[in-house]
Amino acid sequence: MYLYLPVALTSINIIIPIGLGLVVGLLSGLFGVGGGFLMTPLLIMLGIPATVAAATDSNQIVAASTSGTYAHWKIGNVDFKMGFHLLIGGFIGGLFGVQAIKILVAMGNADFVIKMTYVLMLGIIGAYMLVESLNSMKKNKVEDAKPEKESGVARLLKFLPLQTHYEKSGVIHSALMPIVLGGFVGVLAAIMGVGGGFLMVPVMVYILRMPMHVVVGTSLFQILFNSIEVTFLQAYTNHNVDFMLAVLLLLGSTIGAQVGAVFGRKLKGEQLKVILAVIVLVVTVKIIFELTMAPSLLLSQAGGH
Amino acid sequence: MRKAQKPEVRGQKLTCFFIAVAALLGFIAFGSNVSAELTINANHSHITIDLFYNGSTVSVSGLSDAGTDLIIKIAAKDGHEMLKQKGKAAGLLWMNMGTLKFEHAPNLYFIHSTKKIDDILSMEEMNNYVIGYSALSKHIEIAPVTNDEERTRWFSEFIRYKEASNLYVVSSEQIKTTNENGKQKYYMKTDWPYQAPPGEYLVTVYAVKDKKIIEKAETKVLVEQVGIIKMLSGMAANNGTMYGIISIAVALGAGFGVGMVFRKGGGAH
Repeated sequence: MYLYLPVALTSINIIIPIGLGLVVGLLSGLFGVGGGFLMTPLLIMLGIPATVAAATDSNQIVAASTSGTYAHWKIGNVDFKMGFHLLIGGFIGGLFGVQAIKILVAMGNADFVIKMTYVLMLGIIGAYMLVESLNSMKKNKVEDAKPEKESGVARLLKFLPLQTHYEKSGVIHSALMPIVLGGFVGVLAAIMGVGGGFLMVPVMVYILRMPMHVVVGTSLFQILFNSIEVTFLQAYTNHNVDFMLAVLLLLGSTIGAQVGAVFGRKLKGEQLKVILAVIVLVVTVKIIFELTMAPSLLLSQAGGH
Repeated sequence: MRKAQKPEVRGQKLTCFFIAVAALLGFIAFGSNVSAELTINANHSHITIDLFYNGSTVSVSGLSDAGTDLIIKIAAKDGHEMLKQKGKAAGLLWMNMGTLKFEHAPNLYFIHSTKKIDDILSMEEMNNYVIGYSALSKHIEIAPVTNDEERTRWFSEFIRYKEASNLYVVSSEQIKTTNENGKQKYYMKTDWPYQAPPGEYLVTVYAVKDKKIIEKAETKVLVEQVGIIKMLSGMAANNGTMYGIISIAVALGAGFGVGMVFRKGGGAH
């Protein structure tokens, strides 16, 4: 059955967005990512204008992350304190990122910088996660991890003010840490035009040293607030949110997120990291292909950045 | 059913009236020498976009003099379009390199003819009536381009882009003709793409003889959003605040709703 999308001005077979929502929602519930880096390009491939695809995806992520956060909260996997601190940083970082985009566009090489940032960030993060989690899986089999190997940087960080105990994650950090790191992710996410879940997850795992399952729930929690903000701004400023398309997508993604949360409980943290790393690397390879292969059409709708 | 255009009679004073009547009689006498009549009728001239819209079909039919070739043009009003142009950065990577502006470009442009237009119409007539891609290439302005070669290249890319969206078609196989009582009946059925946005589209049939257009007749196709589609697109454009709040509220409700259902079903516990 086909439905007409009033803002995208196109018609779509409803099975496609519902199925797409289901798959991306599953990834969201499993790994704590919004899935924009997968969903937006797929929607564009289906003929949805780029700006509408990105805006509508953020609306859909509101639903998927609500569903996912709810599922993870029920099983005690959301660190609200950490989530709030990351959000504060992410909000400030987003403001800087938007300014950075303006400067890049004025300089005339925005697209090049954005694409390169994307490839490099995805490639480095994917490769690091894959190698690290495979190594730790091997180590765990042989012996328990060494009890203490504190670096100079880690000792220095302990002298920062506002040392806070994040009970849910079982870590003690200065509150400035998640704020600054959230800000860093916020800048990059705004430049790349993505939600930043796939950046935030490794930051929480490797720098904030949070357990993987709490990372997933907490990431979804802060994605929920980010996506609400982005959806509202897109609807208010650019009039690009397609309500019909968002409803079709969220029919799949809300259920997918629940299923993902259930599956996630059955997998170990390291296994989750390996799978996420592989997905991130596959997306990186896909982008590299797109950059190097001649496109079939040399013109596309203007909009976005 | 509409016939070839006739001048309107205006004026209140008697002299003006006589002049107008004389002009009208002269036009009819001249017109009948050129062609008895050319008629056009679009069977689906009001297309409504509702929730289940997935494009439509439009058929165009009418009568013409026997022995004339026919060209049917369906086009949107001239507009302008901004498109991103892809190119190679650093000679290696394909990415958006800038924006091109296409001025006087109709959003939809269908040309159907009984034979290939190059074989039945002179270049001059094609350009006068903007019939065919070659005439369209002279009609559309592209900026910024530095030379003719670049212009030609981006025009052909523009056609490829439009054809990929089913918005531009040039074909000489769709029109069917039959002769009846010394008249030629014509009929054409064409798919109407869902990509064509709401608006008014002009349908013109041209009768062609000796490489010249001897007569034309026009009708219109109106594409309009109705019902919930009209309501949503109007709200998205005119009341972004409310639209945004409703979109977010529905998404939050759906997320919580599904969460509750799974909880009751014991999915996560």
